[in-house]
Amino acid sequence: MLSRLQAISVKVTDPFVSLSLVQASRSLQTSSQRLAPVPPLPDHGGKVRHGLIPEELFEFLYPKTGVTGPYMLGTGLIVYLLSKELYVINHETIYAICIGTIIVYGVKKYGATVAAFIDSINEEKVAKAQAAKDSHISFLTEAIENEKKEQWRVEGRGMLFDAKRNNVAMLLETNYRERQHMVTNEVKRRLDYQIALQHLNRRLQQEHMINWVEKNVISSITPQQEKESIAKCIADLKVLAKTTQAKAAA
Amino acid sequence: MTLSLFDQFLSPVVCWIPLVAIAITLPWILFPNPTTRWLNNRSLTSQNWFLSQATSQIFSPINPPGHKWALLLSSLLIFLATMNTAGLLPYTFTPTSQLSINMGLAGALWMGVVILGMRTQPTHSLGHLLPEGAPALLTPILVIIETISLFIRPIALGVRLTANLTAGHLLIQLTSTATLAMLTIMPVTAIFTGILLFLLALLEAAVALIQAYVFVLLLSLYLQENV
Repeated sequence: MLSRLQAISVKVTDPFVSLSLVQASRSLQTSSQRLAPVPPLPDHGGKVRHGLIPEELFEFLYPKTGVTGPYMLGTGLIVYLLSKELYVINHETIYAICIGTIIVYGVKKYGATVAAFIDSINEEKVAKAQAAKDSHISFLTEAIENEKKEQWRVEGRGMLFDAKRNNVAMLLETNYRERQHMVTNEVKRRLDYQIALQHLNRRLQQEHMINWVEKNVISSITPQQEKESIAKCIADLKVLAKTTQAKAAA
Repeated sequence: MTLSLFDQFLSPVVCWIPLVAIAITLPWILFPNPTTRWLNNRSLTSQNWFLSQATSQIFSPINPPGHKWALLLSSLLIFLATMNTAGLLPYTFTPTSQLSINMGLAGALWMGVVILGMRTQPTHSLGHLLPEGAPALLTPILVIIETISLFIRPIALGVRLTANLTAGHLLIQLTSTATLAMLTIMPVTAIFTGILLFLLALLEAAVALIQAYVFVLLLSLYLQENV
C-alpha cells in the first residue's frame, strides 16, 4: 500500500503534498534525503484491476485466500449490503447502472485515443527540444569540419611560401645574371673602343708614312728622269702594240 | 413521493456537518497546480491543454484590457464544469443546482462588469442602451427596453444554470423512478424507459458542459461590451 501511496504521491503533483509524502516514504530507505534532482515520474500509474481496485489488494489476499479471495470478498460484501438493506435499491440504482455503463463505454472506446493525443502533446514538446538540440549539434559538427579544413589549408601554406621563395630566388638570380651580362657588355665596349682607337692610330701612322714617302719620291724625281721614263714607256707600248697586232693577224 | 424527488436538492448534512463545503471544494482537489516539471503526467497535460484552448477561445474577441479577467473566467469555467459533471454521478449533490450559488456568481460578476464599464468609459457603456440603426422615434421606448434587459441579465444568467440543472436532475429522477416501478409490472415498458434514461443521461452530460460554457461565454460578452 505504501508503494501505491508513493505512486499516487508522485502522480499528484501538488508540490507540498508530494514532497512531504516522498520524504515520508524516503525515511524507510537508507539513502540521504535529497530535494534535487527531482525524482523522475513513473511511466505508468499504479496497477489497477477492473479500473477501480488496486492490484495490491489482490496480492495482499493471495497468500491466504488464493486467486478468488478478493472476488469472494467483494461478492460477499455486496450481498451483505443488499440483503441487510444497508444499501437500498431505489431509483438511483437504475440511474447508477445507466451512468456507469455510459462512463465505462466511453472510457473503453475513447480512452486510448485521448491518451495517445495527450502523449502526442508531450512528445511534440520533446521533439521540438530535440530538434533544436540536433540542429545545434549539427551546426557545431559542421563548424568542426570547417575548422579541420582550415587547418589542412594552413598546412599547405608552407608549400605556398616555398614556391614564393623559389620565385623570389629566381628573380634575384635573373637580375644578377642580367647585370653581369650588362657589366660584360660594357667592359667589352670599352675595350673595343680602345682597340678601335689603336687601329685608328696605326692606320693614321701608316697613311702618314706612305704620304711622306710618296711625297719624297715624287719630289726626288728629276725632270730628265721623268722624260726618260716616259720615252721608255712609249717604246714599250709600241712594242706591245706590234706584238698584239701580230697576234691578232695570226 | 413528491417530497423525495426534491430530496436530492437539499443541502447535504451528516451529523450536522454540512457536506456542501466538500462538494464546492471538489474542483480544487481535482485540478492540481502546475508543477516545476517540464513534461507532466497525462491528466495535468490534458488539463493544461484544455484550459489554454478554452481561454484563448473565449478571450480572443476581447480587447487587451479585458484580458485581466482571464484568470477569473477560466477558473469559473472549470468550477462550473466540474460541479455540473460531478453532479451526474449518483447520490451526489450538485451545488450549481441551487439558486443561491448561481445567483451569487451571476449577480456579483455581472455587477462587476457593468460597474467597470460605467467607471472607465461611461459614454460607451450607456451607448449600448440604444442599439445602432434604430429609427429616431423609437429611442425612448428602446432605451427603457434595453435598460430592463440589462438588469434582467444577472437573473437570467443565474436562473438559466439553475433551471437547466434542476430540470435535468428531476427528469433523471422521474425516469429512473418510473423504470424501477415498472420493472416488476411491465418490464418491456421499463426497457423503453431505461433507453430514455440512457439518452437523458447523455443529454445531461452535454448540458452540464454546455451550460458552464454558456455562463462564462455570456459573461465574456458582457465584458466585451464594457471593457
